[in-house]
Amino acid sequence: MRDEPYRWIEAIQDRRDYIEDQLRPGSPVVGITYNQGMMLLTIGRGQRKIFEVHDRIALSAIGHPADIERLRMLVTDTASVQGFQNATEDVNLHRLTNYVLAHTFKQAFESIVGEAYIIKMLLAELGSTPEKNLFTAINFDGIVRTDTKFAVIGGTEVIETGMQNYLANAPADADRDLTAALRLSLETWAVGKELSTREPEETDLEETQMDTTQMYKVVDTAREDGEIEAGVLETTLQGASKFRLLTSQEIEAALQ
Amino acid sequence: MSLNGRYLNTTDAEHQESALYTLVNNRGDFLNLLEQANYPLKMKLTSETAQHDADIEIAHSTTVVAVLYQDGVMIAGDRRATAGTSVIYDRAEKVLQIDRHSVLAISGSPAIAYEIARVLEHSFQYFRRSQLQELSLEGKLRMLSRLIRDNLSMALQGIGAVIPIFALYDLSADENDNGGKIFFYDGLGAHFENVDFATTGSGSIWIRGVLRYLSRFGDTPMHAMDQQQAAITILRLLDIASEYDAATSGYNAKGNIFPNIKTVTRTGVDTISDDDLAAWYAEAQPKAEE
Repeated sequence: MRDEPYRWIEAIQDRRDYIEDQLRPGSPVVGITYNQGMMLLTIGRGQRKIFEVHDRIALSAIGHPADIERLRMLVTDTASVQGFQNATEDVNLHRLTNYVLAHTFKQAFESIVGEAYIIKMLLAELGSTPEKNLFTAINFDGIVRTDTKFAVIGGTEVIETGMQNYLANAPADADRDLTAALRLSLETWAVGKELSTREPEETDLEETQMDTTQMYKVVDTAREDGEIEAGVLETTLQGASKFRLLTSQEIEAALQ
Repeated sequence: MSLNGRYLNTTDAEHQESALYTLVNNRGDFLNLLEQANYPLKMKLTSETAQHDADIEIAHSTTVVAVLYQDGVMIAGDRRATAGTSVIYDRAEKVLQIDRHSVLAISGSPAIAYEIARVLEHSFQYFRRSQLQELSLEGKLRMLSRLIRDNLSMALQGIGAVIPIFALYDLSADENDNGGKIFFYDGLGAHFENVDFATTGSGSIWIRGVLRYLSRFGDTPMHAMDQQQAAITILRLLDIASEYDAATSGYNAKGNIFPNIKTVTRTGVDTISDDDLAAWYAEAQPKAEE
């Protein structure tokens, strides 16, 4: 097939359409910073989606659970071995993203005879100072976006743009505490969820303006058969490992 | 090191290999992972090495001690490292935090002991990160057994024996109970739970009887002592050990160096500060006669 460029490009395009179709209904993930670190949040249905990779690195993803698991293990194994062979300080998100994950994603995507990874991944790294916090989002085709303030992954680009716009208009993060961060993440998630329920041709960002009551209605509906899952990389946590999952009590308290 | 190939699946054969690898590594076994990455976990010594052991002066000897007190376990070590009759270091850390609720106190060859502590720390973390749950208490004990047993050849050649004390807090214990646990290991990796105390290293013979006396006939049983009482007892014990064992240091007044003391409680591992140690050390001394 590689001898016929047109067919190869066509196959890649088909593959892209197929993966995007599979990803569209996925529950979005929101990553933001707050006064004590960084948070990843989503609403899932049973399958855990937010993970600890290393001392200061957390991961979440949308897509097929088997692909998420395989790639999560790839990055966890690599980080663990590197952290042991050298020092834990030598493990960093930039290297894991660019030298381990991105090309693995790209290679699987473009090997049109092999199986495709149905996945989008969002990773967070807690920096030594807030300015050094880093989010990286990796698309199924290996394209990487980085940000220091916030990042999102959703089924389509339109969903992600809608969520990013909402976050861009949010109050400055310096004085945002855990509760405020949790609420902002949930609202952003609701924006993404709402967009993901629309047919692609109906999606018009102008019409997606929701007020907070509507947002929490979306959250409440999602919670009927799902659960809020939030993980933080917290500077105040004792010891080298900075990751923890928020307890259901903490989440409930923030929603009061 | 490249693990990537094992996760890619461009051909059927490789796909099967990757599926197999995933299967093998699904146990969350960090040692297995290091083997896959060709990390030299075991030193391969030739048989002649044993004949040269008399020529090599390996740093060792120590006193480490752990006692059960009212909040959990208090575990301490002196700071001296020796090689033969020489003191080569007076700020050695022999009490090492492994995770949020466990501490390893080492005696024996420091090079191997530090490596064991490091492998242990990374193994527990790797298990938690890959399996999405904490390794159980029994699992942690077995991992340390395995590392000590794997080190047998070095121990037999007389250059790498490690005899640690492992102190943990069992979070599954009832809120009102003391979840502190102290385990003692032999050179082959067997572990034994000590109820009240454990001590190892060359100075331990001088204080084991004192510990037994205190736990049986002391005014306050050790398990009922508060943090300060337990710390004062431990400072006194290390003082005794340093009196009789040349390889153990007590308080070093010239360098103002105190033993390391850590506590393992329900809230985690804590290190007692030098300020507290200074105050308590003063209190630990007999009052000057009027």
